[in-house]
Amino acid sequence: MAYEAVIGLEIHVQLSCTTKMFCDCPNRPGDDPNTNICPICLWLPGAVPRFSLETLEKATLACLALNCDIQPQSAFDQKVYYYPDLPKGFQLSQHHMPLSRGGWVDIIDENGKPKKLRLHHAHMEEDVAKLVHETEGRTPISLVDFNRAGTPLIEIVTEPDMRDPHDAMAFLKVLRTQLRYTGCAECSMDQGTMRCDANISLRPHGSDQLNTKVEVKNMNSIQHVGNAIAYEIKRQTESLKNNEPIVLHTRLWDPEKRITTFMRGKFEGPCVPDPAVTQILVTDEWQQKMASKLPEMPHRKVNRFVRQYGLTHDEAAQMCSERELSEYFEAVVKLGASPRTVANWMATQLLPAMKEHGHEFATLPVTAKRFFGLITMLEKNEINSNSARSVLTKLFETAQSPEEIVDQFGFRQVSETGALRVIVDQVVSDNTSAVENYKNGNKKSIGFLVGQAMKLSQGKANPKRLQEILKEKLA
Amino acid sequence: MQETRYTYLDSSPSPALTDGALSGVSIAIQPNMSVRGWPTAAGSKALEGFTAIYDATVIEHLKHAGAHIKGSIRMSELGFGLAGDTGAKVLHKGDVDCLLVTDTMGEARMTACVAGDFGFKPSYGMVSRFGLIGLIPSMECCGIAAKNIKDIAGAMSVIAKSDSRDLSMPEFGADLDIPRFDRVFETRERIRSCGVIKECVDMLEIDESKAFGAAMARLAGRGLQIEEVHLKDFELAREVHNVIGAVEASSSAGKYDGVRYGHRAAAAKNWNDMYMNSRAESFGVLVKTYLFQGAYFQYENYNAFVDAARIRARLLAQTEAALERFDVLVLPTRRAAFDPSSAHTINTVYDVFSWTLIANITGHPAITLPHMVACGDTDLGLQLIGPRFQDERLLSMAARLADLDREAHHDGL
Repeated sequence: MAYEAVIGLEIHVQLSCTTKMFCDCPNRPGDDPNTNICPICLWLPGAVPRFSLETLEKATLACLALNCDIQPQSAFDQKVYYYPDLPKGFQLSQHHMPLSRGGWVDIIDENGKPKKLRLHHAHMEEDVAKLVHETEGRTPISLVDFNRAGTPLIEIVTEPDMRDPHDAMAFLKVLRTQLRYTGCAECSMDQGTMRCDANISLRPHGSDQLNTKVEVKNMNSIQHVGNAIAYEIKRQTESLKNNEPIVLHTRLWDPEKRITTFMRGKFEGPCVPDPAVTQILVTDEWQQKMASKLPEMPHRKVNRFVRQYGLTHDEAAQMCSERELSEYFEAVVKLGASPRTVANWMATQLLPAMKEHGHEFATLPVTAKRFFGLITMLEKNEINSNSARSVLTKLFETAQSPEEIVDQFGFRQVSETGALRVIVDQVVSDNTSAVENYKNGNKKSIGFLVGQAMKLSQGKANPKRLQEILKEKLA
Repeated sequence: MQETRYTYLDSSPSPALTDGALSGVSIAIQPNMSVRGWPTAAGSKALEGFTAIYDATVIEHLKHAGAHIKGSIRMSELGFGLAGDTGAKVLHKGDVDCLLVTDTMGEARMTACVAGDFGFKPSYGMVSRFGLIGLIPSMECCGIAAKNIKDIAGAMSVIAKSDSRDLSMPEFGADLDIPRFDRVFETRERIRSCGVIKECVDMLEIDESKAFGAAMARLAGRGLQIEEVHLKDFELAREVHNVIGAVEASSSAGKYDGVRYGHRAAAAKNWNDMYMNSRAESFGVLVKTYLFQGAYFQYENYNAFVDAARIRARLLAQTEAALERFDVLVLPTRRAAFDPSSAHTINTVYDVFSWTLIANITGHPAITLPHMVACGDTDLGLQLIGPRFQDERLLSMAARLADLDREAHHDGL
């Protein structure tokens, strides 16, 4: 029998708030252990949680970015369980009345077709403390770092709309891009600011039943999510072939062995309304105010870039893959550069160079204005592509303007016919056999001769003019 | 011996401030109210040795007003019931002018009733809960017991202030008018009508009913309109409090794991055993039973909790509707046959607080007045429930009612 996979995801996203969710402690989990703590997030006796408005605003923006319906009334529940990462025996989350319901994300499926993946709901939740297990030494010990306790998260729960690893990976990429656009979350899986659990079940192809699912955890990249799902589909298919029943449980992805292993039975603690955190009532007016804070989202921006700047869809998509990148692109174009040249040069030169130098847009020394200067000289044929690449390298290293760099290092392109003729004469007399070949009909030799001439000009000659003069001379 | 009534007596010099609103007023508190540097074990081994590291908002206000906070009394474990509590003795001895008692199901009112004093539970949200170690967050608030209403009003004028650290409170001056407890005796609110809760009267024993009836007749004789009013679900109040209270208590006590403070069991194989042993050794039988019961509703019978929450909403609506028709609702405070200090089981605790817990369920302010409902040797106390956030009006009406009763006695009625 052919099986079809039914996949749903649960994604935890850390919100980039200045403070924790119920107290004023800084939201900086990475600081020295137990420095960002207070009686509230340690839940000392007498503590009263005070829900932060910033959490509500950022969570709302994130939900709006995913097309969710913000609920006029929502409330916190206590997820009851006892574990050392929880200082009070329950986690504050939203179960009965989540902040938002519905929503969707558009992806392109494996066959290149657009697909809408629906969300079930998204809710706010506090993060728990971090446990550090020291197993070496005579007595193994577990240390608790409460810096992360009470930091704000949203949990996004999808409908079981995904059918293969590609869907899940595409979903996560789009989700990440859209959330990053809002500026409310970093969404880095390897940093742990985005965490994803996958629920996977199988059913006979063409059926619409929902069978017992298996939950898989511990994937710390989007690729791992894809791999884990692929493995789990294979594992469950074999189980079914061997007539072994699928039992509800949780498995762990092992990235080294590339397999999933049994972790525990599925545990669902009770969820009871929390009496201490006030209910959240959201007015239409407030929601509109939040919606107006939402930036232009990527899919709309892509369409605009195609329309407004004449980019191809792929180019536009690439220029919109991150909000900072799209804003940089647009800033350079607004200064007067040709959009396609900018897109091309950003994609093939600037982005790789940034990666190499370890720069984000926030720290980029090559400001939009300096990059515009470079592109302008290129477009005006004042420098050739070779020189432009060298100038770009210098832009990372010095504070000079591109014009100054070109002048100082003599990158200016030589297009003047007299000077080029001198070079061509030299090349023709030095490479008699190549000249012979060309004259005998091997037209490819012209490339070699141009190359030699470029070398002789130390890369400064205008290659187009060189070729014209060469052809003229050898005709 | 004073020491037997207190867990902690403050030895620091009297407050320097001599012209504060509460200068010269002495106050005792329970060891579940945080005073920086004071032992704050809330009557439980689970908090053994715990010292508060900051002042509760209430304490901050009292200190700023120049009150002399004398010390902490002995209290029941985590303030559930009054077994082992020395509050009534402290009042009886006249140690202090005011006693602060966490009122979760009627403890402040009951303490006053037993001592023959006035006991007040403010509206939920009237007094900050920040720094008060509680058990049932949606029901408890800082109550006051005192020899007279004036001292209660005096303390309220200092502690009933908005607190940005407790978002369950309204913002006085924005959401609601700033309460003027200083005017309780200035304005002399008139009290015209009392609604007698029919369902409560029906549950009284014969002698209780006679005593209460006599008090009502006396007040009617002074021109007050006394009529029966229905609170249809009153009979269910006890179960509602029991179910919701146990569930909230179970969660609230979850933090007492012996890891960061309090009693920790000597040895354990792993952290799970450490939790279980520490908690097993920490809690007394009464609290343990209550926590078990709460866990039962959380894990096994959540629907019972949902039902209780729904009936709670009905009780609130019924109380509000009754208060549309009457200035106050009246009922006795305590039951003659049950001794608050010896109630050691869930059932007997709920027997004791049968008539007081309704105000904790609905969040209304309530006050008990002494010497008005004598049932044999027992003063049952006359309890008034007023509209929410009209606490100063309730105090004013209570003062007026006490005067009327005195006049009636004087006239030999």
